Amino acid sequence: MDFQVVVLAGGNSKNLTPLVSKELPKPLLPVANCPVLYYVLHQLEQSNLKDLIVVVEGEDAALLVGAWISGTFIDRLHVEIAAVPEDIGTAGALRAISHHLTAKDILVVSGDLVSDVPPGALAATHRRHDAAVTTMLCSIPVSGPSESGSSGGKDKAKKLGRYNIIGLDPSKQFLLHIATGAEIEKDARISKRILHAVGQMEMRSDLMDAHMYAFKRSVLQEVLDVKDTFQSLKEDVLPYLVRSQLKSEALLNRTPQGEENGNEKVSSQNNQAFISRILANASTPSFHGIYSKNPDGSSSTRKTHKCCVYIASSSSYCVRLNSIQAFMDINRDVTGDADHLLSPNNIIGPSPKLGTKTTVGPNCRLGEGSEMGDKCQVKRSIIGRHCRIGSHVKVVNSVVMNHVTIGDGCIIQGSVICSNVQLQERVELKDCQVGAGFVVTAGSEYKAESLAKKEK
Amino acid sequence: MQYDDKSRVEKAKKRAVVKQTEARNRVELFRHLPQYEHGTQLPDLETKFFELDPMHPAVYKVGLQYLSGDIRGGNARCIAMFQAFKEAIKDYSTPPEKTLIRDLTARISSYVSFLIECRPLSISMGNAIKFLKNRIAKLPLALSESEAKSTLMLDIDRFINEKIILSEKVIVKHAVTKIRDGDVLLTYGASSVVEMILLHAHELGKHFHVVVVDSRPKLEGQLLLRRLVRKGLSCTYTHVNAVSCIMQDVTRVFLGASSVLSNGTVYSRVGTACVAMVAHAFHVPVLVCCEAYKFHERVQLDSICFNELGNPDAISKVQGRKEINYLDGLVNQENLQLLNLIYDATPSDYVSMIITDYGMIPPTSVPVIVREYRRDHLWS
Repeated sequence: MDFQVVVLAGGNSKNLTPLVSKELPKPLLPVANCPVLYYVLHQLEQSNLKDLIVVVEGEDAALLVGAWISGTFIDRLHVEIAAVPEDIGTAGALRAISHHLTAKDILVVSGDLVSDVPPGALAATHRRHDAAVTTMLCSIPVSGPSESGSSGGKDKAKKLGRYNIIGLDPSKQFLLHIATGAEIEKDARISKRILHAVGQMEMRSDLMDAHMYAFKRSVLQEVLDVKDTFQSLKEDVLPYLVRSQLKSEALLNRTPQGEENGNEKVSSQNNQAFISRILANASTPSFHGIYSKNPDGSSSTRKTHKCCVYIASSSSYCVRLNSIQAFMDINRDVTGDADHLLSPNNIIGPSPKLGTKTTVGPNCRLGEGSEMGDKCQVKRSIIGRHCRIGSHVKVVNSVVMNHVTIGDGCIIQGSVICSNVQLQERVELKDCQVGAGFVVTAGSEYKAESLAKKEK
Repeated sequence: MQYDDKSRVEKAKKRAVVKQTEARNRVELFRHLPQYEHGTQLPDLETKFFELDPMHPAVYKVGLQYLSGDIRGGNARCIAMFQAFKEAIKDYSTPPEKTLIRDLTARISSYVSFLIECRPLSISMGNAIKFLKNRIAKLPLALSESEAKSTLMLDIDRFINEKIILSEKVIVKHAVTKIRDGDVLLTYGASSVVEMILLHAHELGKHFHVVVVDSRPKLEGQLLLRRLVRKGLSCTYTHVNAVSCIMQDVTRVFLGASSVLSNGTVYSRVGTACVAMVAHAFHVPVLVCCEAYKFHERVQLDSICFNELGNPDAISKVQGRKEINYLDGLVNQENLQLLNLIYDATPSDYVSMIITDYGMIPPTSVPVIVREYRRDHLWS
């Protein structure tokens, strides 16, 4: 279908600091005991897209991700891993692999997106309107019970970081204005030209940019070449394309001439003009078409390009893993409401050993080889593989990764405990994040803190 | 296919690419026509975008455009379909152990059934497809694959040029001789030929006034009106319920057609029959402008046995006016059925003359053209 898929898997992320580390890059962060990248790849595989390019930041992370992918998806997918230097942003990553892009349209998916919206719908909308860029918008997910904790003081900033202000046209097909994160605090600047052309604009703050885009390859490469200070797709490239959709003279002025066949006879060009006039008259012109015509009907030299949107239905699930709160939410949702996202071979590990009087709540996942002592309580949590949990332990609303040892009498609430951590007896953790390999001494109590082994 | 035959419908559903759910409340008289729930078709087809391997992307795009109503009008649909087929033929390569002729014909048939599922074919498209299949079947076996493909693409180009573009020019040339200074011309809906006639007559310097008659739910006349006014013609715009009032001032009526059948019946957008009948009552000549490739040897006496059913929600809602929602709760009731017909049949008594690229003929001469010229020309 002439689409090429690029998955931007990131690498290290500052928002998720104690959780990601050199050994565990962000794409491999486990959600319900399965790396988050799995969900993206699984969905692409189900849509019959078998040739992918996965872009990872950092050489080591790229090696780890590559190893995992070839282990899990042998023969099912054909994946090319591209490693790019760190901190060059999503646009920089695309610039680095731009010579690999050959198809007519590029589908860019963020590797931390967990959703069940089929990418085919986005691609179909893109093709139907012959758009330069199409974005997927979804309704903002309900954030979990943010019981004070680490998100307390920074709550407002985090909320704003996820919010977008989106301007749509009345038919909800075209994107007229997009403002993200930091710009929302200041005044919103709306292009008068676009408003004048379209007449009516609907501003919405309940939709979020899901970071799944379809670009026309020529447009994308031209923007990346011309504007080489752009770092991020979401914050630079997309707003630039949206703002310039009615005045793209500097951009895209070679497309019509370049694509005609070599037939130079005047009559055939007349016929082509005739045909295109019939086709143009047949459909209701979008405001781009109306704008690009002079008042007397002849086509002026104003070039326009279309920025379309695909609004995912409110019943679909779509969340991005870009903060610790989001990580907790996704884990909770995937085991709870959205459990159709889980692959069937991952339900409960074959051999968790539970002690006597141990209760495991309904929405929990236990990895294989885990052992639990007596009188434990596990509620709404996910426990990884090969964990040793002592007796009288209470784990509520938490995520415990692999190879963790938890001593007796611990109480863990709303926390994330990474791999190879050792919690000694009677530790109380509330809303904490414990980095990999850390040892928490006996009897300590921590509230809303992030504990990590110091990097030497 | 008659859609009230249950076994056939089941078989067709199994082969279907687009998943359609049938509408619940259907008018008994039109049960033989397909009627689907309009809201679900487009999203369902979109989600399957990457899973349809045998479908060419250009054909898929055209199917999506038909389904969402982005392309309307017989000529435009035909041209869009042929352009998609040209792309498909260009990218086609014969699989091993198969002959080009049979395999390509089978492939084109599968594309056509996909397009039918998106929106039933118009008669002009049916003729065009018959032409294409005929050309494929007549390819000499000795040709190599690339030569065969380029021959086919040239044939398609020739068809579009001769049958659509050139014939429109000829029709325009004939028709402007019928327009005199001081005329008041009435047209209904948005026909591409009639628009060209009016614009050409205006360029020649004739002074006349145009009345554009329009009807809900499609309101196609508004697009035509916009283009005419931009070029400087003086126009009047009205709806079809006022046509008997305005007909007193009209001197000629120009209508377009989706097809003309063998008994002279004009098969065109719903409402055309009304306009033609009122014109006849006021003794105003009705001129139908139709390219010859749209003629068909079928005979149809009424608008019921062959028609197309559109989206019933389009008539119960007014676009842009959410407060007009009187029918909102009633749509699923047993004793209310919404009927949105797209085409109707105008009897030949109301038509004074048909202007085609073979000249200006009375309606009774249509079967002559179908008989004589079909055999000589490329599709028979």
